[in-house]
Amino acid sequence: MSLATRPLTVTVKGRRHGPMDVPEGMMMIDVLHEVLDLTGSRLGCGQGMCHACVVIWDRDDHTSEEVPACITGAAFFDGKRIRTIEGIAERNDKGEIVALSPVQQAFLDQFSFQCGYCTPGFVNAATVLIERLRRAPVPRGQVEATVAAALEKHICRCTGYVRYYQAVRDVILATPGLTRDTA
Amino acid sequence: MTVRRAGRWAFIITAVVLVAGLVTAAFAMRNLLSGKSGGAAQIVNASPEVVARGKYLAEAADCAACHTAPNGAPFAGGLPMATGFGTIYATNITPDPDDGIGRWSAEDFWRALHDGVRRDGRQLYPAMPYTSYRGITRADADAIYAYVMQLRPMKVANRKTELNFPFSVRLGMLGWNLLFLHDSLPAASAGSSPAWQRGRYLVNVLGHCGECHTPRGLVGNMELSHALTGFALGRVAAPDITPAGLASRGWTAAALRNFLGSGLARQGSAFSDMHPVIMLSTRNLTAEDLSSVATYLLGDSPPPGAPLPAIPPPEIAAANDAGRISYLALCAGCHGLEGNGVPNTVVAMRGNSTLRLADPRNLIVAMLDGIGAENFPHRQSMQAMPGFSDKLSDGEAAALANYLRAAWGGQKGDVTPAAVRALRR
Repeated sequence: MSLATRPLTVTVKGRRHGPMDVPEGMMMIDVLHEVLDLTGSRLGCGQGMCHACVVIWDRDDHTSEEVPACITGAAFFDGKRIRTIEGIAERNDKGEIVALSPVQQAFLDQFSFQCGYCTPGFVNAATVLIERLRRAPVPRGQVEATVAAALEKHICRCTGYVRYYQAVRDVILATPGLTRDTA
Repeated sequence: MTVRRAGRWAFIITAVVLVAGLVTAAFAMRNLLSGKSGGAAQIVNASPEVVARGKYLAEAADCAACHTAPNGAPFAGGLPMATGFGTIYATNITPDPDDGIGRWSAEDFWRALHDGVRRDGRQLYPAMPYTSYRGITRADADAIYAYVMQLRPMKVANRKTELNFPFSVRLGMLGWNLLFLHDSLPAASAGSSPAWQRGRYLVNVLGHCGECHTPRGLVGNMELSHALTGFALGRVAAPDITPAGLASRGWTAAALRNFLGSGLARQGSAFSDMHPVIMLSTRNLTAEDLSSVATYLLGDSPPPGAPLPAIPPPEIAAANDAGRISYLALCAGCHGLEGNGVPNTVVAMRGNSTLRLADPRNLIVAMLDGIGAENFPHRQSMQAMPGFSDKLSDGEAAALANYLRAAWGGQKGDVTPAAVRALRR
């Protein structure tokens, strides 16, 4: 018995993959791991609850949002552009990492995680949040609540929430253009 | 007719109207506005057995669903009920003498349930389902009274009803009651067995199922000629629970017993307004009473439940390919390629009651809004379903609904993008 397949074309961090045949009903996390050899996204609960697996979907309207790759089928991403944890740090022409993103650096500086399993999800969530604030800054007084609301769905089992949230808050407060002084 | 004669007639008509008005007013004064205020706080000495029976009956009547606000003290009222006529707030029925019903006698309590009249003689609005409770026996009303009167009194003030004129005139309910308050509600099914009789009392009277499941007319009355055929009082419609309606969606007596006792069945899990009904009320019913409810809903000779739809033939998938792609993209991760769900976590789509409803409303609303995580008896729970309103266009959502309905609901694929658009918020 052979699996039915459907064609998939997806652009990951600017690089187009496909069209390629992937099994019908395959979840995106499996496509990333098994077909594209991008193994940085973490499969946690497999039920869309823990958000360790989220990838960034770059919408055509230049907004970005998180999509849980464990419960979202490859079919959803056909013709779409995404970023995974592999595409967050800055790389040179040879593909070597030359600088971490401010979020990644802050997570390291502030010891935000312990085992690190949930970290790719937190990095992507914080990246999406910062991109949103660039489009629509919030008053400085609302940054903590904004961070908490944006990261709320992400589960960390090593007690990392406080340092995750503090790190993202500090990046936002230190980055010009993400906040405004008045309410 | 001469002018003089016409004048005489006018005088007579005016006099008759005046006298009729005075008589009505006197009647009203005597019977309606002479209600009691003040008086001593009641002291009720009921046996533990009566109180326990009253507790069971209060659960069967689901008093807490309205009289306990979310995060509020039990039975202290406050739940807002938005109606087309304004907002009504459930009242405090704890035995506090000032804020609750601490001065009410058993007779006062009975009149509220049976006639829709408050202790002060003013009319209740039928958001309080006296239209159903009218059938409660006096003994049962007294037992419920004995139960609520031994609850802890709560000093929670009632909120004033916010109805628009003319509905704000409580006296108007007199006319409404003349038209719409009946001693008994029509039978949901054919039957006569003792279980059926008991089920009729549990469904029509205590459970007041018809208050949501029966369509409502222009002035908020239950349209009894269409009893229990389903109605959308809120965003999610209460489905058709007539024998034919239930059987067409695969409900059997055993499935109904499971559903009402645990909130879960092969046909799906309780969501929206039915979830608290399960948790506060029907889960507490004895096995015998659950059985009676199922017997009454389906009748003494239940129609055979429509069989589970077969695995859809390839042509259904082919004819609904756009919808199927959306299913693979957004739904299959949890509900499964074959629509079987995940045991104890995610409901199945194949044979799901909501997919088998002729009206696609609830399916569309679930797709757009999602469904929150819910806990059920026996430590069961169902995980949250995200809403997809921002990921599905009207056309995509309609195609998805049509695929689901055709593949696993045995329904027509007749959902239009306009139907989806109409339900967007």
